[in-house]
Amino acid sequence: MTEIILQTTLNAVYAASYMSLIAVGLVLIFGVMGVINFAHGELYMAGAYTVVALYSHLNFPFLIAVAAGLAFVGLLGILMEYSLFRPLRDNPLGGLIASIGFLLMLQTAAVLGFGVRMAHIKPPIQGKIELLGAVLTYQRFLVIAAAILLLTGLYLFLRKTKIGWAMRACAQDREAAALQGISLNQITRIAMFIGASLAGVAGALTAPLVSPTPYMGHSVIVTAFIIIIVGGIGHLEGAVVAAVLYAFVHTFVTTFYDGVVADIVGLVLMLLVLVIKPTGLFGARERA
Amino acid sequence: MLLEIRDIQVHYNGVAALKRVSIEVPVDGIVTIIGANGAGKSTTLRAVSGLTAISSGEIWFDGARIDTLPPDKVVARGIAQVPEGRRIFPDLTVEENLRTGAYLRTDAAAVERDLDGIFVRFPRLKERRRQWAKTLSGGEQQMVAIGRALMAKPRLLLLDEPSMGLAPVVILEIARIIKEIVANGVPVVLVEQNAELALGLANYAYVLETGTVSLHGASRDLHENEHVKRAYLGV
Repeated sequence: MTEIILQTTLNAVYAASYMSLIAVGLVLIFGVMGVINFAHGELYMAGAYTVVALYSHLNFPFLIAVAAGLAFVGLLGILMEYSLFRPLRDNPLGGLIASIGFLLMLQTAAVLGFGVRMAHIKPPIQGKIELLGAVLTYQRFLVIAAAILLLTGLYLFLRKTKIGWAMRACAQDREAAALQGISLNQITRIAMFIGASLAGVAGALTAPLVSPTPYMGHSVIVTAFIIIIVGGIGHLEGAVVAAVLYAFVHTFVTTFYDGVVADIVGLVLMLLVLVIKPTGLFGARERA
Repeated sequence: MLLEIRDIQVHYNGVAALKRVSIEVPVDGIVTIIGANGAGKSTTLRAVSGLTAISSGEIWFDGARIDTLPPDKVVARGIAQVPEGRRIFPDLTVEENLRTGAYLRTDAAAVERDLDGIFVRFPRLKERRRQWAKTLSGGEQQMVAIGRALMAKPRLLLLDEPSMGLAPVVILEIARIIKEIVANGVPVVLVEQNAELALGLANYAYVLETGTVSLHGASRDLHENEHVKRAYLGV
């Protein structure tokens, strides 16, 4: 029994890791731009397909493919910012709808380039850690380590650098930030790059574990929305805590009951938070 | 003139908020814009700062046209604004709020000196420098907002309703601070609903009514004007 619990815990930590990366990126984009990026799941998918293309088809080393996925999806983010969100800056609903259009374009591009069938990727990293009968593959360990590293880096960036600071100011009050001489164009571009690249790197790192399809973004975006609502929309630390909470609840329910029940429990969790504390576990302030 | 607003118009969704407004601000002293709620006072300041686009007219600052610049570039030219409702960053500390004002400055040593200067001028902010700005009282928040704008080392300061929602004794303190700023050589454009306060502080005044300048003149003269007395001074 302890074996199963330990194993499920490790599985939950793994799920929490990549979901945190996705949710934090989504929150960052929402915080700085006020736009719900519906294409976020497809950015994750684009990261996974970067690995399919570079690692599976062109035989580049796995980590090079992951780095390329991070950069490529980050650039997709900049493209979205420049072509969609900037012209629609005063129109958050328009930004949301435009992001749905972008989602369909990315999906179609993936179908045209790679087909609708699952892409199987040979495991790039062999081996596993055994711990009291529970198993953690190196591949999963890599995802966990990368998530911790990247999220810590982001935290330090936001706290310690001038740009990071400006980003927090923008997230709290965009106009007031502009009145301090902070360039909204520059900050939104950087926020979009970081937010998108976090989704991309999550997709790239987990690609060998999930068998990518062009439609893999759907389930991820629903989960990410639940997480950012539970954590408090616009709250970065809240997104991480909520991702961990959701991953544990979902993984344990899946293991001990089944996956459909786990999905229902996840939604009930969100409803409970919305009823008891509509601003989310961490959200307190009202947005201007 | 340091700032010249020439015949500007602003439309919100097709509705004119400003109709051919012209205002001039000299290199020293206080110019005030008074008027009722919705007369276009804040819109005027927003247009100067580049937050709201003008549909016609021109805005000139120190010999250069600025009405096409984005807000950050206007700040770079030397115009700082304390916006209506203070708009401090609630989840930054007092000190962090003040430092965002110096965002564009590269003279690090002078920024530290100016920060110390702000704390000398506002001792209460020094005590609360590590507190979240949202925990401050309204008057203290207004001091943070003014201090933040001063940290930009502006050549012109725009103040939008600094007395809003404050107790009379706090308003007196804000008035003292505004006088001090002007005495230190920074001209001020003061937008106020509190006409008594504004006319008492300013050298020159404009009265905005439904998006047009209905009157302008020396503050002392406007203070004696029958229409101003009846409509804005309640006497």
